Amino acid sequence: MKQFKFLYFLKHNTVRYFMTALSLFFILLLLLNLADASFFEASQAFLKSAFGGRRYAYLYVTISRCALITGMAIAALIAFRAGLINIGGEGQLVIGGFAAAFVSIYSGVTGVPGIILAILSAMIGGGLWAVLAGLMKLKLGVPILVGTLLLNYPARYITSYFVSHPFRDVASGMPQTLLLDKSLWLPFIEGTRLDTGFIFILIVYGFVLIYSHRSVPGYHAKMTGLSIEFAATSGINIFNTTLKTLAFSGAIAGLVGAIAVLGIHHRFTDGMLVQPLYAWTGIVAALLINLVPWAILPAGFFFASLTSGASGMERTADVPKEIAIIIQGIIILFVASRATGIASDTKNKEEGN
Amino acid sequence: MFAQLHDISVNFGEVRALDSVSLDISPNQIHAVVGENGAGKSTLMSVLFGLNVNYGGQIFINDTRKTWATPSDAIKAGIGMVHQHFMLIESMTVLENIILGSEPNKYLGFLDFQLAEKKISNLLETYNFSINLHQTVDKLSVGQRQMVEILKTLYRSAELIILDEPTAVLTPAERLDLFNSLQDFKNAGKSIILITHKIDEVIANADHVSVMRAGQLISSLPIDGTSQTQISEEIVGVSKTKSISRKKIKAGSVKLNLSNLDILGMPQIGNAFNLEVKASEIVGIAGVAGNGQSELIEAIIGLRSSKSGFIEICSRDVTGADISTRRDVGLCYIPEDRQKRGLALGAQLSENASISSLVSKAFSKGPFLRKTKIRNFTEGLIKKFDVKASSPSALASSLSGGNKQKLIIARELSLESDVIIAENPTWGVDLGAINQIHHELLSMRENGHAILLVSSDLDEILTLSDRVLVMFESELSQSFCTEKVTREELGKLMLMKASDKKEQKKINTA
Repeated sequence: MKQFKFLYFLKHNTVRYFMTALSLFFILLLLLNLADASFFEASQAFLKSAFGGRRYAYLYVTISRCALITGMAIAALIAFRAGLINIGGEGQLVIGGFAAAFVSIYSGVTGVPGIILAILSAMIGGGLWAVLAGLMKLKLGVPILVGTLLLNYPARYITSYFVSHPFRDVASGMPQTLLLDKSLWLPFIEGTRLDTGFIFILIVYGFVLIYSHRSVPGYHAKMTGLSIEFAATSGINIFNTTLKTLAFSGAIAGLVGAIAVLGIHHRFTDGMLVQPLYAWTGIVAALLINLVPWAILPAGFFFASLTSGASGMERTADVPKEIAIIIQGIIILFVASRATGIASDTKNKEEGN
Repeated sequence: MFAQLHDISVNFGEVRALDSVSLDISPNQIHAVVGENGAGKSTLMSVLFGLNVNYGGQIFINDTRKTWATPSDAIKAGIGMVHQHFMLIESMTVLENIILGSEPNKYLGFLDFQLAEKKISNLLETYNFSINLHQTVDKLSVGQRQMVEILKTLYRSAELIILDEPTAVLTPAERLDLFNSLQDFKNAGKSIILITHKIDEVIANADHVSVMRAGQLISSLPIDGTSQTQISEEIVGVSKTKSISRKKIKAGSVKLNLSNLDILGMPQIGNAFNLEVKASEIVGIAGVAGNGQSELIEAIIGLRSSKSGFIEICSRDVTGADISTRRDVGLCYIPEDRQKRGLALGAQLSENASISSLVSKAFSKGPFLRKTKIRNFTEGLIKKFDVKASSPSALASSLSGGNKQKLIIARELSLESDVIIAENPTWGVDLGAINQIHHELLSMRENGHAILLVSSDLDEILTLSDRVLVMFESELSQSFCTEKVTREELGKLMLMKASDKKEQKKINTA
């Protein structure tokens, strides 16, 4: 009986997927025609710059970007599942990144202990920034959504001030910190140009899978997210759950900041974590897959490839930047319309009364 | 307007909410429809007003058969309804609220506010209303808001106006004004349907009274042919034969003790609460919903704080303690609102079954959940209480109402807490499940648990309880031994004004 149902589902959805893909293809064709670029050339440029390049250089960039986006998506997912609409990932990311750079440069600790110290301070910084929004909610009644969003701005401009004035690398002429000591740079993986930052994200990914499905705090957070009244009546401490979950979410965002600083840029430059929209892309990725934990890594990879591919199209196939961005947006729209229903937490979706 | 409801029946799943109800409404009359919560008054009105279209039977307006697809059809036919909870947009003015949805248009779709204002001013003059049309609604008192709702129906030329519990929120002076207006409408030839459970208002103002109980129309009589006692007896009904017998057990030591508890945010100003529930005892609190029962329960559970007094569970003071401490000391809670408070509908049955803090501790090892143990436990509960579910990993939303309730009761009773708080435990549940739930509660009593049962179903209270108290306007009556009190006496207390203490004394001495 179940198998029949499954076949039925597949049959119908195959048709739908085909139609979706077909209409997507025509829209892209139309757009590229507008831009006077050939579809073949453009798609080749897209694939090459997302997954290819000389010695897979572009693929490494995509993976590296995937790590950052996935990390931010995980940060959003943890909070969203608990019903805490933390859209302040950007602020927590920036605070984490700056903390990592600041501690690395001014603590004088080098080598592996220095890396550990930098990562820990980034996680504490990001976590505290998120907890601040939690306290604003619990003590003053400011909605999490508003609190986290508004805390993005001070985070951004406080760090902007720091790197423009007191902690600026004057010689570089840019609003950025000094370069980190080489011993603090995350090493490349042997024989490649891929930094080890993504390994941290893989660990976090595994950790979050266990946290969401097998741990008591994750269970409490999920129940609070599904029905706060039920959770409270059953004896779950909403105050603690809120703060703990936000601290966890913020700490992951902070970690992503540290990875960007230690692994990619090796310093903190004003706007380097804000402009690429890592935090916002992460939120979109988390929402796209309906907050189902296992799907967060494929979603992160999807968004990273899309960004890499679109910029490659612009570079080599003469597609204007704006068209490339429109194409990126349309692909997301189409995938979102199909993917959101598929990734589901449980098989049983029947609704009772 | 003559309105006839003929042979109306409505089913909600397995529950029969209305059973062949026929009702005639005549013009120049105030027709009161009275009954307990869940008697079917609101369901009947939602059929008449087109809110519920899944019904059996016919509606006749002025002798022609009508069917509504939506309330707007009913409104066009001249029916207006004033809901208990006002449906007004606070930031808009009185005028805008009144015309919303049937605005007079000028050329090009512009609003003709002048025409609307003229029309409403005429209404105000006819019925002696005074209200500033350009005031925003958020600045109005409750009585004035109700006036706006009534004006909405008059503006749409309603000939039949349904008022659902209109006096529940009003001050005595506002009530007087309302009934004066209703008399004016009546004299202008309109039909008024007044839904209420306040009998004194019915006697003083209505021309005709219909009593409903358990989905059926019990009587429909002119007010002159009936009396307050007769109505209240019809509302509560005669006792059904008891299918369950309670064993005689001597109650043990006090397990739950409320002493001079003054609870924050009660719906009416009442006295502080004093209440004791002993081991092997079921104490029932009867009363019409909305008289402070849910606030009392919230205070005991720990969802609501109190100004003074204290709460003891198993002789331990838990007045300031949080919910999880109270549960660990020995408290479990079967909530009335199973969709919101009893379950997380989007979670699996096993996740719902294992949430209570005490149980959670047994199902975890350090920070990790013991999934197999949780699954086995859930399967055990499902089996023991005969919950109809496909598997422990099914979503709670897939269960029917009765099975949801069984799962909640199974979970809470499995805690073996000394004190059990049950709030309308069989509300909206089918007969088989009701019997099962009653048996489980009685066997908990035999095993020495102290049970506080709050229910608006008087039969349930009388079947299960050793002692009964009545809650009315945020005050508890004194406690009666179930064997020594009749349902008529309790019915009177449930519907009586708080000031009528004489009546209460009479019962006590009897």
